[in-house]
Amino acid sequence: MSMTDLRSHSDNASPSVGRWLLSLLGKTKLYWGLVVLVIFGALTSPLSSKGNNIFLSIGNLTDILRQVSVTGIVAVGMTLVIFIAGIDLSVGSIMALGTVICAMLLTQQGWTAASMFSVPATGVILFVAIAALIFFVQSQMKSSSESKPPAPSRVPSMAIAAVIALVTMWWLALQVDDKFGVMAVLISVPCVGIVMGTVNGALIVYGRLQPFIVTLAMMVGALGLARVIAGQDTAVYPVYTGSNAVQEFDILRSLLWGVVPVPGLFFLAVLLIFYLLTRFTTFGSYLLAIGGNAEAARLAGINVKRNTIVTYAIAGGLSALAGILYVAQFRQGKPDAGLGLELDAIAAVVIGGTSLMGGRGAILGTFVGVLIFGFLSNILQLNNIDSNTQLILKGMIIVLAVLLQEGRIEEFFFAVKTKLRGEK
Amino acid sequence: MTQVSSLAQQHMLAQNSRITMRLTDIGKSFSAVSVLRGVTLDITGGEIHTLMGENGAGKSTLVKIISGVQGQSTGTIEIDGEQVTFQNPADANARGIVIMHQELSLIPDMTVAQNVMLGQEPLRGGMMINAAKLRETAKAALKKFGFSLDVDTLVRDLRVGEQQLVEIARALLMDARLLIMDEPTSALSQTEADILMEVVRDLAQQGVAVVYISHRMDEVFEISDRVTVLRDGDLIGTTLAADTTPADLVQMMVGRSVEIQPVERAVPASDDIVLSVRDLTAQVAGRKVLQNVSLDLKKGEVLGIGGLLGAGRTELLETLFGARGGDHTGQIEIHGKAVKPTTPAQGVDNGLALITEDRKGNGLLLDKSIAENVVLPLLPRKSRFGVFSQFKRNAQAETAIDKLRVAATGVDHVVGRLSGGNQQKVVLGKWLATQPSILLLDEPTRGIDIGAKDEIYDLIGQLADQGISVLFASSEIPEFLAVCDRMIVLCDGHVAGELSRDEMSVETIKDLSMQFD
Repeated sequence: MSMTDLRSHSDNASPSVGRWLLSLLGKTKLYWGLVVLVIFGALTSPLSSKGNNIFLSIGNLTDILRQVSVTGIVAVGMTLVIFIAGIDLSVGSIMALGTVICAMLLTQQGWTAASMFSVPATGVILFVAIAALIFFVQSQMKSSSESKPPAPSRVPSMAIAAVIALVTMWWLALQVDDKFGVMAVLISVPCVGIVMGTVNGALIVYGRLQPFIVTLAMMVGALGLARVIAGQDTAVYPVYTGSNAVQEFDILRSLLWGVVPVPGLFFLAVLLIFYLLTRFTTFGSYLLAIGGNAEAARLAGINVKRNTIVTYAIAGGLSALAGILYVAQFRQGKPDAGLGLELDAIAAVVIGGTSLMGGRGAILGTFVGVLIFGFLSNILQLNNIDSNTQLILKGMIIVLAVLLQEGRIEEFFFAVKTKLRGEK
Repeated sequence: MTQVSSLAQQHMLAQNSRITMRLTDIGKSFSAVSVLRGVTLDITGGEIHTLMGENGAGKSTLVKIISGVQGQSTGTIEIDGEQVTFQNPADANARGIVIMHQELSLIPDMTVAQNVMLGQEPLRGGMMINAAKLRETAKAALKKFGFSLDVDTLVRDLRVGEQQLVEIARALLMDARLLIMDEPTSALSQTEADILMEVVRDLAQQGVAVVYISHRMDEVFEISDRVTVLRDGDLIGTTLAADTTPADLVQMMVGRSVEIQPVERAVPASDDIVLSVRDLTAQVAGRKVLQNVSLDLKKGEVLGIGGLLGAGRTELLETLFGARGGDHTGQIEIHGKAVKPTTPAQGVDNGLALITEDRKGNGLLLDKSIAENVVLPLLPRKSRFGVFSQFKRNAQAETAIDKLRVAATGVDHVVGRLSGGNQQKVVLGKWLATQPSILLLDEPTRGIDIGAKDEIYDLIGQLADQGISVLFASSEIPEFLAVCDRMIVLCDGHVAGELSRDEMSVETIKDLSMQFD
């Protein structure tokens, strides 16, 4: 029973082209679901006055990309969390907190609750992140030949990071007197989300609490925080670019070259970055290892605690980033902007084939999951189906997609059939 | 009280109607692959019938067919002369056939009583559980079977051996006439295994048929009336235990003669001390699990660590590796350098590798490939800017597969689908890839078959010859005789004594491990 026997056996058994196609079809069934949905959309789409298919028009397709961008960015963060067998219920609230802070920074002058929170938060997060990054690069450069080099000193990296963080805070503080510009918002609001996510992660790791409980508490707490910062329960901060906010903020809602929506670009960029990170770097391997068997990962010398905290921090940061894009598209920030968002994100992740048990899944699957939801609601809207029916269909799609994903659909129908037959 | 006596009556009934099961020409195939062929076998009440065979021999399949988990492809099952077909385990249960799986199936946060009575709770008014009666019934049953367990303890707080007793009690209360036990002693220490075997013998005397699966040869001879050996899906033979010898059985199992012999060592251990431990004391929640443990490990030496379950073997290895955090005092010197390991990462940096006793629980990512598992400890160390090339990864995995002769289709073979022995080789390969100078092995041969065990003993010898030092912890005493140059025996967290190779014997080791009893 040697190795070579087994290998040549598997080679001999290498299937015919038909079989190979079938297995390929099985592996890519998620994408085929999307294709079927697109074909269905094209067939049922109403025609415009010129006789063009509305669903397939470039305008409609890029608009779908814009519509899914907020949920999509949040879902990418959720995917990472679910990789490590966690869950983050607080993404909706953190996103809403992001919209409130973003809108207030854009429209309110002086030291408001929003700026008093976001400026220090930005300083702290930038300091930690930049110090860690420089330290990482340093340690990687030295470890070319030696298996165990002495760890480089942390002092230079911390000094550089401190300088950058202080300069940034000073730059932000200068803008507080007037109103924040686009860059300032894009830097400081995600940092607020990262702070919230880090709190999640730290409580889970050091408090040894269930992610469900911690993020449930954060979901409630961040909603309250958003309301406190907004100043009143039902506060809505409208953002009128050109009158109460800088004109450039319109960039975030514009169409690039008249075609590509900028929020969609943000989504695609986030997707690409985290696809590369999870697919090709050790960070991705760590997350899947932690989700697959945290104790085995720990014993292999992987820093489970740090990676867990970083994951929740990323989920929080991406949620707040999505909040900025929400403000850009809806021209307002409000504490209840993210209601139900966490469930949409979880649904997209699960439809994308990522296991809620952790350790198994892919970012690209989440992309498809997000698109399936986007296409579905677009098709239903084009056909004038009311939003409540849409919810029912959405629920059914989730179950169907997961049955398909797990390859249980035949099993399921078989069981139903035999039950019905048996009880006749 | 009436409930109790009716239970007792049921039990008497079971004794009076001894089961006879006759399997004729049982076979099983999955699509085109035949995993079991032409098994013809009788099992009768009152006998202990041991099934032996290497992994993949068909024991599990046979047991699954008997207990209704899987249907057979060919052949018939007769019980008490009546032909039966089992659709599911419940059908088999109704015939008095109960299986105790290798992995325990108890509910940790329920009490002993609740677990014993699970699924047959006495009711009040047809709806509510009669808690008092449940407790009394369970208590009476445990007493009747002669198990000294407190019914109010949570199963979580029991030791593995005690949990096994709860499982047996549950099976007996289900009116078992044929009890199937799949490696019940694999997680037990010698003493606990002795107690368990006492219980099993008792059951047989009461008329229960016991089908017993075990890899432990000494135990097989201690307990069995008859032994059936399977190999590659074929029934090789059934003999009276009294008529055969361990060597014969092994020959039947592997098709050639294999004797567990002391591993030949080409290079004797040198005198360089690579690991020196002085007065190591560690505690868990205020309880001292290690007390003033001192030892020296030489380069290229295999040092055994014996002792009963809970004596501190695992704790010692984990503390040295850094897996138990910093709650320990004493001096640890590795290659002459004082260290205080507090995380596994430090352990790896110190040149240590820990192969844990529970490869499924904390050794492997079961639904990942061999390649992904092998490189896991390398990722934090050998990646450049966070990237570890696929090419290097596969090369590492290839090396592990070739060196350790893992039977797999390739580096992408999912680890969960390998046999226990091959899984253990992957764990070893994963840690050898870190090029450790000291290997910490905790029960490296648990639950794997004799052929694979032998290979692992040989491997340990080869590694030691190459200058790697090994701490070898085990609960199976004969293993020490096979591989260790020297050993220490722990008892209650203390070093009870040290034995040179010449002093090692089953008796001396047993004596030392029960020194403080």
